[in-house]
Amino acid sequence: MTTPQAVVGMGTLLSGGGIWLLLPGGSARSRLLGLVLGLAGAGCLAACGLPLGDLARAESIVFWSLAALTVVAAAATVTVRNPVYSAIWFALSLIGTAGLFFFQGAQFLGVATIVVYAGAILVTFLFVLMLASPKGHAYYDRVGWEPLLSAATGAVLVGLLTMTISNLLLSEVKAPTAEESKNLATATHQPGGVLNDEHVASLGAQLFSKQLVGVEIAGTLLLVALVGAVAIVAHEKQYRPSPTTRGAQR
Amino acid sequence: MNESALLHNSLLIGAILFSLGVVGFLCRRNMIVMFLSAEMMLQGVSVSLVAWGRYHNNWDGQSLVVFILTVAACEAGLALALVLMLFHRTGSLDIAIWHQLREADQPAYADAELPEDTDAAPRHWPKLTPAGHEPQHSEEEELHRSHV
Repeated sequence: MTTPQAVVGMGTLLSGGGIWLLLPGGSARSRLLGLVLGLAGAGCLAACGLPLGDLARAESIVFWSLAALTVVAAAATVTVRNPVYSAIWFALSLIGTAGLFFFQGAQFLGVATIVVYAGAILVTFLFVLMLASPKGHAYYDRVGWEPLLSAATGAVLVGLLTMTISNLLLSEVKAPTAEESKNLATATHQPGGVLNDEHVASLGAQLFSKQLVGVEIAGTLLLVALVGAVAIVAHEKQYRPSPTTRGAQR
Repeated sequence: MNESALLHNSLLIGAILFSLGVVGFLCRRNMIVMFLSAEMMLQGVSVSLVAWGRYHNNWDGQSLVVFILTVAACEAGLALALVLMLFHRTGSLDIAIWHQLREADQPAYADAELPEDTDAAPRHWPKLTPAGHEPQHSEEEELHRSHV
């Protein structure tokens, strides 16, 4: 009895249990078990993915490799106990996401993700190196808030979303006929379609015509955030901590 | 390529990324890792938006992701400034130190005892020929770097 719902349920349970065992607080052996369970769960969830089409075998290999890279690196970001490794895994996960953007034809976003986040990750990395505990894993990296409840929350969320997505696309919307797919595929390559040759020009035209107000607001938001960050740090300069509060590190 | 299958699979990945971000944000206590988890949730939403945009042959999805990138950059600046400030006050990245900000009727959080950290690999420093004499060590200085 392998209905899609059963596969989704099993994948959700397995990956939730795997994440629970992987989260900080367990022993090395339970983490190994968690790794196995998590990979099995991810496999079950991948099994309810749809084939990308018959002629696109190489394409689906690329897609699933990128997906596996993204998801595995994301899981490692959350579960690895050393924040330095966390930052590195997050960078890998971002590279996977950028690859998925490229795969879907969003070239500008792929590049922008790498460029913007490379800077952000570099800064985060510097922060970790500056602030992390110099002696082994810090106490607060070795425990978590309620790992079981957190993992259950994540499992419920992913289960509900997956069920909704599958039901929506399989039953209500119906898979498009071959002709409809072909029409969509040609429409996306027309001038103005999301896959046309002048990708960046089209995205820019969209941003600076239809979304112009949004762009202005985003610029203002950046300015406000900059001022806010400066204000936070400048205010901190006046604060002189007493020696007793400073040594409160575990 | 089967467009609806591509949409379906991308939405699946977006959902998994978002959920992993939620789990990390709820469970981890290191403020920097919490920040990375929040960014991961944004990534999940971005993947879904790009997939919808492609399915409907519509630029709005990608435009929204540009705005998400902007907000993420603002968030990074503010969050790291805040993290730096909080670290200055306590010398620790532990979010549990700030538990006095809880509601008045909530009990105080008590840390559980934890066994020694056994699997942090022992460090092997390179052996160098001694030169000069060893300076005096200050224990407090080794515990945290006062000049950060």
